[in-house]
Amino acid sequence: MLERSTAPKAGENTWLWLLKIISGVLVIVLLFVHLVVNHLVPTEGLLSYEEVIAYVTTPGIALMEMTFLVVVVSHSLIGLRSIILDLNPSPGVLRVVNWVLTLIGVAAVVYGIWLMQMLVAQAA
Amino acid sequence: MATAQTDPHARSNFWKWFDAFRRAPGMWAYALNRLSAIGLTVYLFMHLIVLRTLTEGPQAYDDFVALVKSPVFVFGELVVVIGGVYHGLNGLRVALTAFGIGVPYQKHMFYAVLIITAVVSLVFGIHMFTA
Repeated sequence: MLERSTAPKAGENTWLWLLKIISGVLVIVLLFVHLVVNHLVPTEGLLSYEEVIAYVTTPGIALMEMTFLVVVVSHSLIGLRSIILDLNPSPGVLRVVNWVLTLIGVAAVVYGIWLMQMLVAQAA
Repeated sequence: MATAQTDPHARSNFWKWFDAFRRAPGMWAYALNRLSAIGLTVYLFMHLIVLRTLTEGPQAYDDFVALVKSPVFVFGELVVVIGGVYHGLNGLRVALTAFGIGVPYQKHMFYAVLIITAVVSLVFGIHMFTA
């Protein structure tokens, strides 16, 4: 059996760990809402363009979906960071990884907000 | 005591991640969690990207919907469901034990996770291919 150190891995952050757990629980809740409201409530399960446009203009939907996006992207990228930490990157590489993941996260959320407002505008 | 750095039989830090031979049983839970995490992340970003077809008008979106009703894509969605159910349930187990809840039962919880995942996979599999 390999001897393994039980010290915290270099780069692990208490706040990110806590955020990962909180966002994880929120993902479970919001994913359930997302799937019910997307697939079980609309007649065609949002598989038609018209239904999607009607859906995004329903009050509260945009807020729910954008919250879900922020929460799931955060959870995903913090998790990816932990997987990368398993590969024991050097501090320099880790700094680059942190920046790239942050940028991807911001880009994904900005894209989601842009897409949502585009669809709402198409309904008008 | 041979540490990871002085053990002559230890692989380099990078390749150790793929070493399945000397893992304790509980590490499989974590390995599967990591694997499903990667799969779900790939799915997430694909999902976000394809939604862009909605901005290209009704025809583009309807074409895309017709595409994903094909069996290959439906099977892909089933794989995502299985990965998601496992990842979520095991994640809850990890969160609970991290706060000291149910630690003596973590193996039981893991087996429950596997059983529930199997059952849900079966139900969804049948539903997706017969509905």
